Amino acid sequence: MSTRTRSTLVGLGIGLALADSSVVTLALPDILRQFDVEIPTVAWVLTSYNLWLALAAVPAAYVARRRPAPAFGAGTLVFAAASLGCALAPSFGVLVGARCVQAVGGALLVCAALDLLSEIEGSDTRAVRTWAAAGILGAALGPAIGGILTETLGWESIFFLQAPLALVTLAAAARLRVRPLVEPAGRPSVPANLALLLLSGALTAALFLLVLLLVDGWRMDPALAGIVVTVMPVAAIATAAVAERLGGTATRAATGVVLVAGGLTALGVLPGSAWWWTVLPQILVGAGLGLALSALTERALHGRSPQAVHGGWTIAARHAGVVVGLLLLTPVFTAALDRNEERALRAGAAAVLDSRIPPLEKLAVAQDVLAIVRASDREVPDVRDAFADRPATAEYRGLEEELVSQLDRAVTAAFSRPFLLAALLALGALVPIAVSRRAVSV
Amino acid sequence: MVLAVAAAATLVAAYAALGGTSYEPSPVANPCAPRPPRAAEGTGERIELVLLAAADRTACRLGVSREELVLALRSVDELDALARKEERSRDELEEALRAGLLGAVEEGERQDLIGGTTARGLRFAADRLPLGLLLSLLRGASSLVG
Repeated sequence: MSTRTRSTLVGLGIGLALADSSVVTLALPDILRQFDVEIPTVAWVLTSYNLWLALAAVPAAYVARRRPAPAFGAGTLVFAAASLGCALAPSFGVLVGARCVQAVGGALLVCAALDLLSEIEGSDTRAVRTWAAAGILGAALGPAIGGILTETLGWESIFFLQAPLALVTLAAAARLRVRPLVEPAGRPSVPANLALLLLSGALTAALFLLVLLLVDGWRMDPALAGIVVTVMPVAAIATAAVAERLGGTATRAATGVVLVAGGLTALGVLPGSAWWWTVLPQILVGAGLGLALSALTERALHGRSPQAVHGGWTIAARHAGVVVGLLLLTPVFTAALDRNEERALRAGAAAVLDSRIPPLEKLAVAQDVLAIVRASDREVPDVRDAFADRPATAEYRGLEEELVSQLDRAVTAAFSRPFLLAALLALGALVPIAVSRRAVSV
Repeated sequence: MVLAVAAAATLVAAYAALGGTSYEPSPVANPCAPRPPRAAEGTGERIELVLLAAADRTACRLGVSREELVLALRSVDELDALARKEERSRDELEEALRAGLLGAVEEGERQDLIGGTTARGLRFAADRLPLGLLLSLLRGASSLVG
């Protein structure tokens, strides 16, 4: 097997394991309905995976550095088996349990992959770049692929498909002799890992909330939303290709952080509720992602040995960041959604009262809209249902459009604060980058 | 780095200039402030204007928006919920509702929006009908004039 094929297969394994931190984002509404659970509960399908990946990464790295190839194999097998467990889960509890096991397998796979790549590519530097790039691609493509699979084949297909793909990557480790590293591990790079944690927390908004805004907020078809959010990984790939020409790791990391913060701020001040408004902010976030995550990973691993252990620290930091992002941003978002629902109701009632529909109909329309909103149970309601049996006159159509517009405004405004908070989190990453710039020059 | 800062700042400034910082549900009008005049055609629309003015007067007196009040007119229970939220008694709310209707009827009569018979009917309703019946009447008020 050629070096390139081996690298690609190992990269596929890393991508699969790290895509899982966000791959079910668009599947959450379907999972919520299937298992009849609340929104904060269903979020544990994402949170549990990231939490266990963060917790297991460093111990897994210590295991992986002694026997990288067997650790990669074992991690892949556990990941594949747990993926099947997720697909066949008869209850929500089993699904979350399988996700935890999947994360432990993923942690072992990803950490061992770094030493495998060093052996395959014959260079630690090239191995770190491939390892970081595969992880970024996986995390960025996750929501899009998950959305398209959920829409076309159902959410279970995400996990059914992962199992055989993961098993294919085992071929990369076949007959590969990797020298075990038993030297004691040095201290992890605190500034680089802290910056990774803060940046990953911020990226949660881009990867998780943006998808939620498109599908649940603006009622966009999940498959189309999946295509829209591919702007981010495409921008990340394009930027990663020219990243090295942009300077040292500190410069690239800081530039990336500024781009991510700028993109998130722009998402926080969207002037309309159509998907094309998200394209330019996504390009900024994607470009920032491509620059910052790889630069910070290189920075965290530079001159440190063994690579697998320090790689484990970066995985732990990144996924702890995702958990922090989910736990921090979700309550801010739900509180803003509640507040804006009331504002939208009042604005909608004003639109009904000031409309030119027959006076006798006004209270009836207002009551129908209110009933739809109240019955929506924390999902964004479709107020067009209130007009299904009403005349298609210009007055009714105008009122319908005005109500939809008020609802879109309310939903978009509800996402504003979490995006702005995420931008602040991203900017916070500049502090450890600046601190480490003084200490290290890469 | 300079390019990144410039790109981020340009995009954020452009979105803010296009209305991004105020893209939220339209604020509702202050019920105590006069509204722009609106032409009414036919008796139904004229009665509607009187009832909207009554809602404004009542909402202003209670310190809530007209829209919040109208949404609470669905039932006595909803009205009680509004009273609790505003820390007022049912009697205070009922009194504000009746006074708002009487004031708007008087104003409507002065502006020739409604005739004497309709005004007398609405006054009778505001003075004498039990709250539940008054709410039912308000919900279907324009049917009075057919």
